[in-house]
Formats: sequence, structure tokens, C-alpha cells
Amino acid sequence: MEQKFIGFKCKSCGRVMYPKHDRCLSCRGREFDEIELGKEATLITYTKLYAIPEGIEMPPLVLGIVEFPGGCRTLCQLTTDEPKIGMKLSPVWGKLRKIGGKEVYGFKFEPAKKG
Amino acid sequence: MRDVAIIGCGMTKFGRSQGDLMDILVEASLRAMDHAGASDSDFDSVYVGNMMAGELVHQTAIASSLVDRINLVPAAAERVENGPASGASAVKNGFLAVASGAADLVLVAGGEKMTTADTDVVTDLVSTMTHPTAEYVHGVTLPAMAALLTRLYMERYGLTERHLAMVAVKNHANGMKNPYAHIQRPCTIEGAMSSAMIADPLRLYYACPISDGAAAVVLCSMEKARKFTDKPVRIAGFGHATDVQTLQEREDPAVLKSVKLASQQAFKMAKLGPKDIDVIETHDAFEILEIVQSEDAGFFEKGKGHLAVERGVTALDGELPINPSGGLKAKGHPVGATGVAQIVELVWQLRSEAGERQVKDPKKAFACNFGGFGNNTVIHILERAW
Repeated sequence: MEQKFIGFKCKSCGRVMYPKHDRCLSCRGREFDEIELGKEATLITYTKLYAIPEGIEMPPLVLGIVEFPGGCRTLCQLTTDEPKIGMKLSPVWGKLRKIGGKEVYGFKFEPAKKG
Repeated sequence: MRDVAIIGCGMTKFGRSQGDLMDILVEASLRAMDHAGASDSDFDSVYVGNMMAGELVHQTAIASSLVDRINLVPAAAERVENGPASGASAVKNGFLAVASGAADLVLVAGGEKMTTADTDVVTDLVSTMTHPTAEYVHGVTLPAMAALLTRLYMERYGLTERHLAMVAVKNHANGMKNPYAHIQRPCTIEGAMSSAMIADPLRLYYACPISDGAAAVVLCSMEKARKFTDKPVRIAGFGHATDVQTLQEREDPAVLKSVKLASQQAFKMAKLGPKDIDVIETHDAFEILEIVQSEDAGFFEKGKGHLAVERGVTALDGELPINPSGGLKAKGHPVGATGVAQIVELVWQLRSEAGERQVKDPKKAFACNFGGFGNNTVIHILERAW
């Protein structure tokens, strides 16, 4: 089953947010539609974390902030060891880490397929 | 609101303390009370800044314990928790209690005992400040957040790793003149730039150590201050503002808007501007933060803070000394103590009691204490009141 990266669109003013807030950051509306944020996002900053937290298998953990076309951004793990600012990345569902011994899943981002 | 004076202050040596959390809170509190000449007075309220006593040392309700240990019973007592800005939040609460007339004499202490826990445990506990599903779950740590911000600055403003090293060198040099500082050794540009990479482009020397420590101040109404001291320091203004929790959702992730707003509030209340300030303590848990805070607080143009470091403006003998104490980098960052310790340093500076690291004749001072990763900032402006 394909997993879509979901954001939250305010039913009153249309602002799209991620993560979810209980009131809209613009108009304080309380109801939202879930919408797909996109299949591609642009890398705006990144780090390679060598002092890794528990539940991450191997350093470095490559983390970045990506921006979807509508302006929504998310922090994420990157699957590439050669991140470059401005590169296009796509969300892919997978194991993020273990927390308290339990595996946690979510979106990572991988270099977008050309074309 | 009434004018509020700081009439005394004290702290423990930051680093690895022999005593437990309560021992160091007691030590700092008694030093502050003695410094104020208020040891025999009845206190109305006690505020204790602390972030993680329950998690780190398995003790809760520490303010009740403190008033018991130092016999300030029946003073009102409470712990104040606001992440790494717990200390300044405690000072703010003390200020409001006196300013409102609800209390005349207040003790504000802040402390944290961190070295008994493993580094991994401390790093993880601090990481729990981040957004649970949008940040923490991905394995982000505070050094990682600082690294993401640093890279943005490098891309946009031409900051280089060398600038971070310059801040570290300055703060180490200041720390060596501060007997209370954790780190008491020199640091060179080359040494900093060859230290271990923890979160590229952030190396070990661009981050603060893990420390134990406590600090305390005594506050009272200005009208009664002269009974205790002929050098009262007035809290001329404070500001406190928040931003959205995640770094990525901020309007511009390279702007610390909570620093901006809180600074504007504090300047407005004090009827002062950045040009009036003579000495600053910033929250340099990571050296990038000293630069970004100095810009967003209004001291330097956005994107030009690193140039001020380069020109020596922020050095001890520069036009605008930043972190004469050594900052969090060299003095250490026992999180609950930090905001109070910044105020302690600035009181010493204003009273010309800062010894070898004394800045030349400062009259007005500015402190920036930073909670979360820049989403909760408390600012204080202090001035000589004699």
C-alpha cells in the first residue's frame, strides 16, 4: 500500500500545516482536511549526526529539513550520505529508529527519481 | 508596578560538583543571601528554576526542600520549569512578585545536577523538548538542531566554521578568568576546528559541556533596597515570548523570532535600545546561537553577527562584550541554573565585582535565556541604580 505524506489544511482559511496543530496558526480554525503534501520536496538544510541517539543503528544519521511545493516543511531522515542543498527528495515509508526497544516507523526522504 | 532591585547574588563553581542538587542550591542561595546582607531577614517567596530534577536525580518538589534546608519556612516556595530557560523564568516570576507588591523580599535560585547521568541519557532527556512526532521520533538532538541552523547560516550569510571557532576561543579565554567556570583551559582556532565532529558542521568545541551548578539572586523592592546595599541593580525590563515548536515550521528557520519579540518587549519596558547596552550574556549552548541571538536581539544587522566576532567587537575589551563569564560554552550549562547565573554575572559586572574579567564600567546589561530550541525566550535588562 502506498503511503502519502499528509498535511493539514484549515477548513476556514485554507492554510496548510505540518505537523498538526489543534488551532490553525493563521485563523484559529479547529477543523482540518488531510491532504497529500506532495511526492517531491526540496532540501533546505541538513546535518550528519555522529553523536547518535539510542535506537539508531549506525552513525552518521543524516537529517534534513525539506520544503514541499506549497511551502510546508518537515524535518526528516535522509537515505543519502551525500545531501546537497536544493536537491529534490521524495518521501518513503520505513523504519526510523527504536524507542524504548520498539521499532518506530515514519517517512524518510530519498533522492527523487529523475523524470 | 514597583521598581525591583537585585540586592545580592551568588553561585557555585560550575562543573562536576561533589554535592547533590540540594547541596548546590543551598550553597548558591546562602551565598546570595549573605552577599545581600539579608541572611537574617524574613523572605516572602522562593522561586527555584530547574528543568529535570525528577528525571535526573529522582527528586521532586525541590523548592519545598530548599526552604526547609535553609530555614526560609514559611515563605511561599515553588519550582519553575521552562526547559533551559527555567532560570530566567524563575527570575521573571520573582520580579513580578515584587513588582506587583505581593512580596517584598524574594530568593530566586536555579540549579541542575547533570553529571551523575550518562551523556546519552542527558542528551535524550533534553531531546524530549522537541516535537514528539515531527522531531523527536526522527532521532533529532539539540546538537542536530544547532547544526541545521548553522548550515542555513553558512549558505545564506557566509558564516564559516572559523567564525564558530572564534566564538569558542573568546569564550574559553573569558572562562579562564572566571573562577566559577567549568572549563578552565585555553582553546585555539586550530584546536577547535580539529575537535570531534558531533553533528556536521558542528564540532565538540562549538557546543557547551554537561555541568552541575546552581546560582541565586535576592530581589526586593527598590524602596527597601538601600537598607541592604548601596549598589542595588534595577531590573529595568523583561521580555518573554514563544514561537512555534518545530524549527522547520517557523516563518524563517534562520530567525529566532522569540528572541526578537522578547528583546523588543524588554527594551520597550526599560525605555532603552540596543545601543544603550554595555555588556551581554547570551545562551550559547552552541556557538552559532551567540551569533544569531546577538542579531535577532537587535545588536547587529541580520547576517552580520559573525563579522562583529571577527572584528573583536564582542571580546572582553571590545565595544560590546558578549559572555564575559565564558558563556554556556566555558562556564557550563546546568540547565536550570543558567538563566539565574547569567543575571549573577551581570550583577557582578554592573557592581564592578567581576575580577579579572571585569568589563570597563558597564551601566546597562542584557541577558538572553533560551528555552526549547529557540521557541521560548526570556530576556532581562539590568541597570545600575546608584
